[in-house]
Amino acid sequence: MSFAATERPVGAGLHAPAPRVSARRIAVVAVLSIALLAAVAASLALGSVKVPLNSVLDSLCGWLTGHHPPPIDREIILQLRLPRTLTALVVGAALGVAGALLQGSLGNPLASPDVIGVTGGAAFGAMVVILLSPASVALLPLSALAFGLLAAALVAMLSWTGRNAGGVGRLILSGIAVGSIFTAGTSMLMAVYPSRAPSAVMWLAGSLQTEGWGTIRNVAPYLGGGFLLAIGLMRPLNRLALGDEVAASLGTSPRVVRLAAIGAAAILASGSAALAGLLGFLGIVVPHTVRLLGGTSNNTFVVPVSALAGATLLTIGDVVARTVKAPLELPVGPMMVAIGVPLFLWLLRKAV
Amino acid sequence: MAVLEVVGAQVRIGDKQILHGADLSVDPGRLVAVVGPNGAGKSTLARAAAGLQRLSGGSVRWNGEDLGRIRARRLAMMRAYIPQRPRVPEGIVVREAVLIGRSPHLRPLERLGLGDRRAAEQAMERAGVLAFADRELVTLSGGELQRVQIAIGLAQEAPVLMADEPTSALDLGATSAMATLLRGLADDGLAVVLVVHDLALAAAVADEVVVISEGRSVACGPPAEVLVPAMLEEVWHVAAELETDGLGRTALHVRWLDAMAARSGVDG
Repeated sequence: MSFAATERPVGAGLHAPAPRVSARRIAVVAVLSIALLAAVAASLALGSVKVPLNSVLDSLCGWLTGHHPPPIDREIILQLRLPRTLTALVVGAALGVAGALLQGSLGNPLASPDVIGVTGGAAFGAMVVILLSPASVALLPLSALAFGLLAAALVAMLSWTGRNAGGVGRLILSGIAVGSIFTAGTSMLMAVYPSRAPSAVMWLAGSLQTEGWGTIRNVAPYLGGGFLLAIGLMRPLNRLALGDEVAASLGTSPRVVRLAAIGAAAILASGSAALAGLLGFLGIVVPHTVRLLGGTSNNTFVVPVSALAGATLLTIGDVVARTVKAPLELPVGPMMVAIGVPLFLWLLRKAV
Repeated sequence: MAVLEVVGAQVRIGDKQILHGADLSVDPGRLVAVVGPNGAGKSTLARAAAGLQRLSGGSVRWNGEDLGRIRARRLAMMRAYIPQRPRVPEGIVVREAVLIGRSPHLRPLERLGLGDRRAAEQAMERAGVLAFADRELVTLSGGELQRVQIAIGLAQEAPVLMADEPTSALDLGATSAMATLLRGLADDGLAVVLVVHDLALAAAVADEVVVISEGRSVACGPPAEVLVPAMLEEVWHVAAELETDGLGRTALHVRWLDAMAARSGVDG
């Protein structure tokens, strides 16, 4: 009896065929999709004024249902809740994808938009407007976007010149250096203009408060470009996962892929900062969560599902942030961390 | 015409000249072993021939066409290159990794087709990795992992396979399995370039050996004719003799404890 266990060939446990992976991945996508739909419905219906779900539906597609909701409900849905919900979806998706692209291209689990200096740059861009020129607050998204991209461009320039150009180590160190310059600039501005610091702090904590469609309309083209690049990068990133040498021998230039991935991540992260302030947590945790849930690092799964998961998490976070103490609105960043971190830690405990 | 013809290859990395002039030529159905001491430039020669390392002089021709005129993706359909220390990513199973080998055949955004999946299955079968196709790479042994690398190369369906020290980290059994596989692939009609430092292994599997010493190719020909005691003494500074019997068995008889004396005799 006691020999039964030892008679198994050595490593038999390892040789057991892995369960079919695709079923698990489909389940993950299905569950996330349902959660996303529920979150969107809640995001449209809930808030300081509750709008019944059928009114939500009638407002969105009255031409289909043939019903006309009360004009005030329609106004709330179309001019306030819908742009806000869309912003949450787009920002969540963009940050999830940005993190997946960076982690995939740098082969480093800690990679996030912070690492390539984008977060620091975007924050500085926002502070310049909030602290130096609060009257022109309409320029804030543009400034955040521009400085985020500027930071990424500086990092790319610093790490793509000289010896070992384009190496991962150089890139990360350049990113940290550039990021600290901008972070220092932000601290300096806040110290010099302490009276305006409270609104700066609100922005830094991340918020989805929108004034309707204006900002999202301006930023959407950039984000669209970032998403398109990300789709094209999924398979090249898989080649990179096997090592630079293998990727190169398969006809893919590791440096070009890395540069494109960083460019796309910079656009997505700066655009997100322009729309919603700093929500860096999403970029680092969402792709890991997706890998743990799906049991795979295949980027054709991780990149799109990170978009789905990021959108879901941020939308849920936003609903909670504006309902839990309504009519007071809490900042969405800390709220999302409160929801996301326990989930992530639970997955981590199970996996490692 | 040789599928791969390297003439007088020179490579400079930084301000250090690694290759001073090396030749290499391979024909279909032949296995060429590139041998030489550590740091002689074997891997650099293979990388330069594979288009992964820029030449500072000399020429590399694939099917008579200059390497510089061949775009990366087309080159990837002409040769597969298996690096010495490939990265082993987490969360990727064998089949996914082998399918990545199909990339040169896919246009950007083109989906994997039935033909691609079939080619990957065949590559896995040929390399003997089909039995663990659904296992994650990180759970594999060194020998299994190296055969997966070969399968990735075979999935490229290129007529030339280049492998850089595929056996250097393997035990005896895994080395022998790898040798059988590579020899079999040459017998199937592939041109195989094998960078290897085990001379007994090279003599057993290769049709031809190219000896690299201090950045130059110093000899080329059938193993038994090239790896003679004088060559081993001159290049490796050892008193040694290669023995081959007609049964495919090889042995390197080395006077181990005379090596330092031989070396100091040469150096002094």
